[in-house]
Amino acid sequence: MAEYQQILDRLYTHLRPMAPQGTTLDEDTDLISEFGLDSVNVMDLLLEVEEDFDISVPLNLLADIRTPKDLACTIIRLLEAE
Amino acid sequence: MIRTATPTINNRPLRCADFPTLAQALDYAAQGVTGYNFYDGRGRLRAALPYAELRQRARTTAKRLHGLGLKRGERVALIAETCPEFMEFFYACQYGGFVPVPLPITINLGSRGSYIERLRRLLHSCCATAAMAPAEFLSFLQEAADGLELRFIGSPADLYALDEPAVELEPSGPDEIAYLQYTSGSTRFPRGVVITQQAVMANLAGIVGSGLAVRSGDRCVSWLPFYHDMGLVGFVLGPLASQLSVDYLGTRDFAMRPRQWLALISNNRGTIAFAPPFGYDICARRVHRAEIDRYDLSSWRVAGVGAETIHAETLERFADFMAPAGFNRHAFLPCYGLAESSLAVTFAALDQGMSVDHVDRRDLEDHMTATAATNGHGERVRAFVNCGQPLPGHEVVVRSADYQALPHRHVGIVSVRGPSLMSGYFQDAASTRDALGPDGWLDTGDLGYLTEAGLFITGRCKDLIIVNGRNIWPQDMERLAEEQPEVRVGDVTAFVTSHPQGGEVVVMLVQCRLTENERRTDLISRLQRMTYSEFGIKCRIELVPPKTLPRTSSGKLSRSEARRRFIQRVGWNQHSEIIAEAPRAAASS
Repeated sequence: MAEYQQILDRLYTHLRPMAPQGTTLDEDTDLISEFGLDSVNVMDLLLEVEEDFDISVPLNLLADIRTPKDLACTIIRLLEAE
Repeated sequence: MIRTATPTINNRPLRCADFPTLAQALDYAAQGVTGYNFYDGRGRLRAALPYAELRQRARTTAKRLHGLGLKRGERVALIAETCPEFMEFFYACQYGGFVPVPLPITINLGSRGSYIERLRRLLHSCCATAAMAPAEFLSFLQEAADGLELRFIGSPADLYALDEPAVELEPSGPDEIAYLQYTSGSTRFPRGVVITQQAVMANLAGIVGSGLAVRSGDRCVSWLPFYHDMGLVGFVLGPLASQLSVDYLGTRDFAMRPRQWLALISNNRGTIAFAPPFGYDICARRVHRAEIDRYDLSSWRVAGVGAETIHAETLERFADFMAPAGFNRHAFLPCYGLAESSLAVTFAALDQGMSVDHVDRRDLEDHMTATAATNGHGERVRAFVNCGQPLPGHEVVVRSADYQALPHRHVGIVSVRGPSLMSGYFQDAASTRDALGPDGWLDTGDLGYLTEAGLFITGRCKDLIIVNGRNIWPQDMERLAEEQPEVRVGDVTAFVTSHPQGGEVVVMLVQCRLTENERRTDLISRLQRMTYSEFGIKCRIELVPPKTLPRTSSGKLSRSEARRRFIQRVGWNQHSEIIAEAPRAAASS
């Protein structure tokens, strides 16, 4: 779980600058409906995630990612599969 | 899998799409050494598929499709990922006499449900009897097809596991359907454009022979999705029909790392690459200036532009930005087309760059005439980009609402006639009748005017906002809003609708992430001020949450669908209790 928390913290550093004012950010924040990420933001976020973790996030996995927790779990799976 | 890209120079004489069918085009291309190449988001070659190998694989796959018991002319739906397997299945249909239907990949965060629903509508619309998805997309397809009766739903590997029966292949003939294209129509009500072999071959001959004047030494580079007409016809079928090698980058890889497109052109000495204006825009905004020196774009002789309204400034900015890399602004080639005409209708002249016509804005809005403006710029002038002349054998006229042909410089409905036109919308006689007249003219639904120099597109006909006898182009209002720092390009839709109390109301919906009331009010009142001073109209402006505006299946905002939903939401279709919902925004301006 230590790894999970570390990855989540790293994700927050990417997500915070994209946060609209007044929104809270935790592992269960809905990135679309609460956080309001649009497709350009998503591309930016993925680019940062891919560069930071040196992974490539397959397009099909996005369909099931809604929260920072989902994204962190996906990153762990991708890192383990390397 | 081969790890060397196919060469640019072929060992067979170049033929410019003078084949009766796609299968025959591949038969010829397979005699040479050129082919398709697939790169990943970091610019590494993932696979090379020479046309010779494609032909072999496609024929084997065609036999396996026969083994499923598919009948001639039945539809095979293909999730159109940028990968060799798509090519193999698409051409397998050509050899087997089946009809391939490329399906879109529109996946975003958390979008599983909506994507599956969309695939389901498409599978239903084309009555697919078989459907293929690359392994990573298979679960979406399986869910989408749940309850539909298909003979096969699987990945390429699932099909390879089946027997290859010893059938004699009878390729799709000139009068038969080459493919269905789902680009037009909204997401909710998809319309499949039916394109025959004759139609697509006529269009390809025009594109590669006349529009691009393809020559030995040409090489294509593309990130356009295979489910879009420009990606499929322009950069899958066109290069094959003229035996050119192509380097592909996935669409999402381009969106994330647009520099890879430039890197491919630079490294492989690409000569032909197209993009909608936003593709050029994204490069100019996201590629770092310091990187430009690394690229050599001097080989890029045709930088095609199409698929959406072309703003001259976007292209100018790209050309200025890329000039240090040797980009030649005369390479810009604006063109006009639509899936209903296979792909292309008009092409600007090669090596001339973009040419812009400045017209008087008042005359345009009040009289629908494009009077050449005497002084070049400013608020009283509108600029339109010349999309050029029709392909040989094709005609373009501009007509009034009562179908009278209009003289030059009069704005009207752009109509097209020629051998590239669709046969109709698949199993949709009503939509077909609306679009295709008995005299063979296709009503494109676009507005434009002609001059000696060519065709100029001014907007979409059915979206035109007419208030107090003035014509206002919604994209102009949208553009105004998009220029605000809080608003992104593509987040605005404007339309006009009748108010139940009488009169017309112009509505502008703006997707916006602002949460503070003060900033929201500020944006609304600023937009009201600007639309009033710019267009002289009062406008009802509403801020809506991100991702709530409806889009067509090709990703463009659908104004008509937005209007329909708006009317429903505010209850103007019910002729009652509307006054309580008085347009506050409009009233306050």
